[in-house]
Amino acid sequence: MINLLSRTIMMGTPLLFGAIAEVIAERAGVMVTAIEGIFLMGAWAGFVGGYLSGSLTVGFISAILAGLLVAALYGWICIYLKQHQVVTGVAMNILTVGLSAFLYRVIFGVPITPLTVNPLATIPIPLLSQIPVIGQILFNQNILTYAIYLLAPLSYFMLYKTSVGLTIRSAGENPEAVDVAGINVLTVRFITVLLAGVMGGVAGAFYSIGFLGMFSTNIIGGRGWIAFAICFLGNWNPKGAVIGTLAFGFAEAIAIYMQSIGNNALFPNELFIAIPYIMTIILTVSRKSFSVPAKLGVPYIKEN
Amino acid sequence: MHAKLKDLLITNILAIVLGIIASGLMLLFLGKNPVSAYAVLITSVVRDGYTFADIFVKATPLMFTALAFAFTYKANLYNIGAQGQFYIGAVIAAAGSLFFQNILPSGLALIITLLLTIVGGGLWGAFIGFVKARYNSNEFLVSMMSTYVALAIMNYLLRTFLMETKGEYPQTDALAASVWLPRIIPGTRLHIGFVLAVLACIGVWILLYKTPLGYRIRAVGYNSRAASMSGINAKKLYVLAFFISGALAGAAGFTEVNGVQHMLVQGFNSDIGAAGIGIAILANGSPIGIIFAATLFGALKVGGTIMGQMSGIPSSIIELMQGFVMVFVILAYFVRTRLENNREKRKLQKAAV
Repeated sequence: MINLLSRTIMMGTPLLFGAIAEVIAERAGVMVTAIEGIFLMGAWAGFVGGYLSGSLTVGFISAILAGLLVAALYGWICIYLKQHQVVTGVAMNILTVGLSAFLYRVIFGVPITPLTVNPLATIPIPLLSQIPVIGQILFNQNILTYAIYLLAPLSYFMLYKTSVGLTIRSAGENPEAVDVAGINVLTVRFITVLLAGVMGGVAGAFYSIGFLGMFSTNIIGGRGWIAFAICFLGNWNPKGAVIGTLAFGFAEAIAIYMQSIGNNALFPNELFIAIPYIMTIILTVSRKSFSVPAKLGVPYIKEN
Repeated sequence: MHAKLKDLLITNILAIVLGIIASGLMLLFLGKNPVSAYAVLITSVVRDGYTFADIFVKATPLMFTALAFAFTYKANLYNIGAQGQFYIGAVIAAAGSLFFQNILPSGLALIITLLLTIVGGGLWGAFIGFVKARYNSNEFLVSMMSTYVALAIMNYLLRTFLMETKGEYPQTDALAASVWLPRIIPGTRLHIGFVLAVLACIGVWILLYKTPLGYRIRAVGYNSRAASMSGINAKKLYVLAFFISGALAGAAGFTEVNGVQHMLVQGFNSDIGAAGIGIAILANGSPIGIIFAATLFGALKVGGTIMGQMSGIPSSIIELMQGFVMVFVILAYFVRTRLENNREKRKLQKAAV
């Protein structure tokens, strides 16, 4: 049980990175539908950087750069050229599948055995990790897990208690007002998308070098979309995102646990694999009141 | 209208060319000469009848999944779950064929299987429309997630009830030749499913532009509030549009299983949902345009595979080409809107003088 909860927190890490990034960007009015592609390129670049340099730090920096590039292209097309966000996101996702597979082959050829790196180690926090039960669950995690659970409240504070947050939220609710205040709506939106690139890149790399220690093109397998869904279900609020992430992390931890004990006669493995997706559908259907940012998905066109 | 069509053709052809050039540049990383690689691609797809016909074999399921996206798109709905509806269709096609092949004459078995496939894919899709209509759920998310659920169902069935009698691989037994779709050109793999796909494109065009139902669907897509006020039941249309969309994607499962694979294999055609969206965008949502756009994607697929076998270029070049083409097609949209705006402006200026 302790192991399961500790796993929940860990498996939730990349989802929370993605979901918080998505919350911020969507509050500014842009759906980052390229998030699956950002995750994938992050996973790819993280692995390549980490494997070639032998340093996970270099890996994560490469992942951030790759995420930034995908986000910048997406943001340019959707924000400045005002093209459709769903359609552009789908295009970016196809492109990144091709890019990551192709470039992996360019760099590594066809290796006989799968290439691996040592994934992120856990850093037990002195004293706190000694607390029975809770210590093992909360304070024996890797550095990214600590980072995101610190970033989550910080992002809440930023969005709701600072003028920067007010500007971001206004860009999604009432962009004209932001414009009148002399702030460029497009720049605000573009920056939030770039931030999503940074955080999504780290999230992707978490799968390749933070956890599995390897890369394959199906490594993300819709996790980017789940982060996207958590943002919706968490009502575009970092608090909701944390709750949603824990629910999904738990579902995923159970799935992995059930698969590891294997040969389950009562429930097939596939059921556990499908649980996070089924849960998304049920939650999407059952949520009644949403506080959708008013201009979500609507390109801002300045009137002359 | 004429100028618009000209814009569409010119910008999209440019987009395709640029997309292919961009992927060609990627070949330089492998130390391959893109010009000679593409020469291989072009000469190989026309090298013999079998390969050339394969373009249309590959285009067949793509037409269906592209139609599936385009159809809901007209109602301003996003069905990005065509992949899942295709899997459901494929499972039903395989199960139905294996069940009926020994008890019914071949024609009847095929027709019943096709109907079951369409209804199954349609119901899987209609669920998305239903929760959209009833609970105002986000259809984009639900359709996305339903794909992963469909995949899990397919994998489960392939491991259990539908698994081959040998019990070695997650795949079904081969279908009896009586339930294979008839070939239309001997010596090739081109089967009657291609004709079905083209007919579906024409049928969807007629449905959308020549029937009251199509008019209502487009009216809802254009302005759902205004459509509701004029007495159109938008909610019923959501369910119906998703049913038709799912049925189209499901039909792709039938043509692939009964026409090409003659069995159901785990994880086959895992990219036709996404490629279908690309094709629908390239065709600007036009059902007739989809015939041509799907053929182009089919050619890229066939040529890309052969290019891989002959010059050691990884098959991921196909996704790369599709991805680049899609990105440039979206940029072409932008250019077209620009051109259109400029034309309007000139018209106004002329009128003012």
